[in-house]
Amino acid sequence: MNVQQQSFARRGFLRGALAAAVLVPLAGSVASCAAGGGGGSTGPTGTVSDANPFGMADKSTVDAVIFKGGYGIDYVDFAGKAFESAHSGSTAKIAPSTDIAQELQPRFVGGNPPDLIDNSGAKAIGFSAILPQLEDLTSVINAKNLEGKVIKDTLYGGVLAPGTFDGKLAALNYVLTVYAMWYSDSFLKDNGWTVPKTWDDMYALGEQAKAKGKYLFVWGKEAATYYQEMAIASAIKEGGHDVRLGLENLKADAWSHPAIQSVFKALDKIVKAGHFKPGGSGTQFTAAQAQWSNAQEAVFYPSGSWIENEMKDQTKSGFKMTGVPIPTVTSGSKLPYEAMHSASGEPFIVPSQGKNVAGGKELLRVMLSKDAATNFAKTKLAPTIVKDTVPADGFGSTALVSQTTLLNAAGSNIFTWNFVDLYGMNKDQLVVWNTFLDGKSDVATLTSALQKITDKVRNDSSVTKIEVK
Amino acid sequence: MTPVKTRTSRNDVGPTAVVPESAPPVVRRRRKPLTWDKVSFFGVFLGLPLAIYIVFVISPFAQAFYYSMTDWSGFSSKMNFIGLENYRKIFTDDIFMKALGNNILLVIFLPIITIILSLVLATLVTVGGSSKGQIKGLRNSSFYRVVSFFPYTIPAIAIGIMWGQIYDPSGGLLNGMLTSLGLDQFKSYAWLGDKSTAMIATMFVIVWGFVGFYMVLFVAGIKGIPAETFEAARIDGAGRFRTAVSITIPLIRDNIQTAYIYMGILALDAFVYMAALNPGGGPDNSTLVMAQQLFFTAFTKSQFGLASAMGVVLAIATLIFSGIVFLVNRLTGGDKDVSN
Repeated sequence: MNVQQQSFARRGFLRGALAAAVLVPLAGSVASCAAGGGGGSTGPTGTVSDANPFGMADKSTVDAVIFKGGYGIDYVDFAGKAFESAHSGSTAKIAPSTDIAQELQPRFVGGNPPDLIDNSGAKAIGFSAILPQLEDLTSVINAKNLEGKVIKDTLYGGVLAPGTFDGKLAALNYVLTVYAMWYSDSFLKDNGWTVPKTWDDMYALGEQAKAKGKYLFVWGKEAATYYQEMAIASAIKEGGHDVRLGLENLKADAWSHPAIQSVFKALDKIVKAGHFKPGGSGTQFTAAQAQWSNAQEAVFYPSGSWIENEMKDQTKSGFKMTGVPIPTVTSGSKLPYEAMHSASGEPFIVPSQGKNVAGGKELLRVMLSKDAATNFAKTKLAPTIVKDTVPADGFGSTALVSQTTLLNAAGSNIFTWNFVDLYGMNKDQLVVWNTFLDGKSDVATLTSALQKITDKVRNDSSVTKIEVK
Repeated sequence: MTPVKTRTSRNDVGPTAVVPESAPPVVRRRRKPLTWDKVSFFGVFLGLPLAIYIVFVISPFAQAFYYSMTDWSGFSSKMNFIGLENYRKIFTDDIFMKALGNNILLVIFLPIITIILSLVLATLVTVGGSSKGQIKGLRNSSFYRVVSFFPYTIPAIAIGIMWGQIYDPSGGLLNGMLTSLGLDQFKSYAWLGDKSTAMIATMFVIVWGFVGFYMVLFVAGIKGIPAETFEAARIDGAGRFRTAVSITIPLIRDNIQTAYIYMGILALDAFVYMAALNPGGGPDNSTLVMAQQLFFTAFTKSQFGLASAMGVVLAIATLIFSGIVFLVNRLTGGDKDVSN
């Protein structure tokens, strides 16, 4: 009897504990909504001067989290050292991350984000989610750099556009990326081929390459959307900025635009003719890129200018990597053949809730100095948004020289788009493109599948849309 | 002597306590005072573990359930309560339903294939040997047992990367072997890039990784069966197959049920293998699983509310699955104790 009674007491205790278990977290989660997001930026405590334009406090620490991808983080370390020597006593704590969104999400919610973030990589934070929490960086570009020039005047044209959302300069994209069609100059010359300027020429070259057992293109499963980038760029050149605005603003018939359709048809012809190396949808993208840069099984590869650095160790010697504009459909395209998709990448952001907002901006200002920018161009073989940091010989890189050539030839005909990254569409689009490049779908399927992805975002009321004009 | 002594000391309340039924009800209802001894015992052995469990297990669950009814973006502390809207959204979303379908496919096939294979192997190395003399496994069975356990010692992500290379269309081991055998249609064949083979190829990798482990589990179970049982069956004229079906399986039924549930839970998750072999969800999303879709929704689309709802669906699916396994086991007579 005693035993039975004890068991009842224990059960009663457990029951009470369970009830508490249910109630406590509920109350907790409700409370956590109301709480959280405290913090807030501390006002400037240092004196504002040309050497300290944002009024950073003396002997403070800047907490920076930098995406560690193709460019590494040593270029920020370099700037960090310059920062520390310019402000003795202050330290720049620079931490790498390969997973920005996952790693920083709790810090954003908790109200203690880092002072400077390179929000880049496949796992970057979507801008629509954090836009209201970011500092407007206009004060940074209006400040003077370490050499005493106003930063705004030292930048390439149009580089601020990708970081501007609804009129707010929320991100400063540090690296200038040129999207082009890359090839080996020596390989092309050896075969006596010329660079095709229209898709018809491209098809003709494909037939010649086939005779020599080569393919026109290779692709990897994680990078199938590089061909979407190529198609959109070609379509914008063909049909003008209408095409771009339709896509950016998620129009219901955006992908059915005649210019896009004509590019898709041209691509479809090339795919069906077997000018893409088969098996790409099962190949890891760097392995596919090596088939182009090392094994030379294919002639061209559409990519951003990071490609040279990315494939540095897997490029055949004497390759002479060179970039040319994407072909157009006709020679009478609305924008000239030389028009380029170029965007500044590696968006650096300063969260308003950081402990040392002024410090974050100050480190960014140091990065935009001529010294730090030249160091980047020299070590990464890619230009930053800061002008005149690449000498005529491109530090010995043919790719870097061709980037400068392309940018100069394009003049003001430089465009970019944000919708893919802004709404996180790349993952869904990859599936569609892998199937298309595999030759398992056609133009109509491709169009409707891409349109469906666009429609889904447009019809989702929980997604904040950003209108592009 | 000792047990008798204890019994007397326990019952030495008096002669009335000898017959418990006649104890006065007043004594039964009286609560013993909460002594410090008792309270501290509760505190340490019940309160502390319970508190840890509540903080680290129950409360995240409850919180996730709450978040699943909001439109939380994940990066701010602001959110609106939207009721079951997220659930409506995911059940009308073709990609999530596809992922759910893939998980169901995995849950049906993975445990069955793995368990059948490992049962066969376990039988072979324990009772599948010579039919004369002592009951034993095949010759060198201890060697096979160790070798087949190897894959389990490799981390899942390494298995994924390794098989990703083996399946590589151009330079992969598999296509290399097939083409050297003269099967030219497999030159550049994308095992993971073709809708019809991606899922099968992925399942193969998971089975490959787990067969050894479950084999060892079943070997332990079979070793627990007295050899006489097998000998008796053999004398009665039962062959190896009959022995396996009528003796081994009923006697290690509990092990099989446990294995089935573990393997099923793994199949409902399967994130690591899928992410390593086909990070994007595979051709036509044919290898996309719920856990992957949850991850994309949360971290690339910044829709944590929606992702939490997916997590809740995943948890409920797991509960339903283990419920079904228990039920099936019960219905097929699994609760009958056959070991005596």
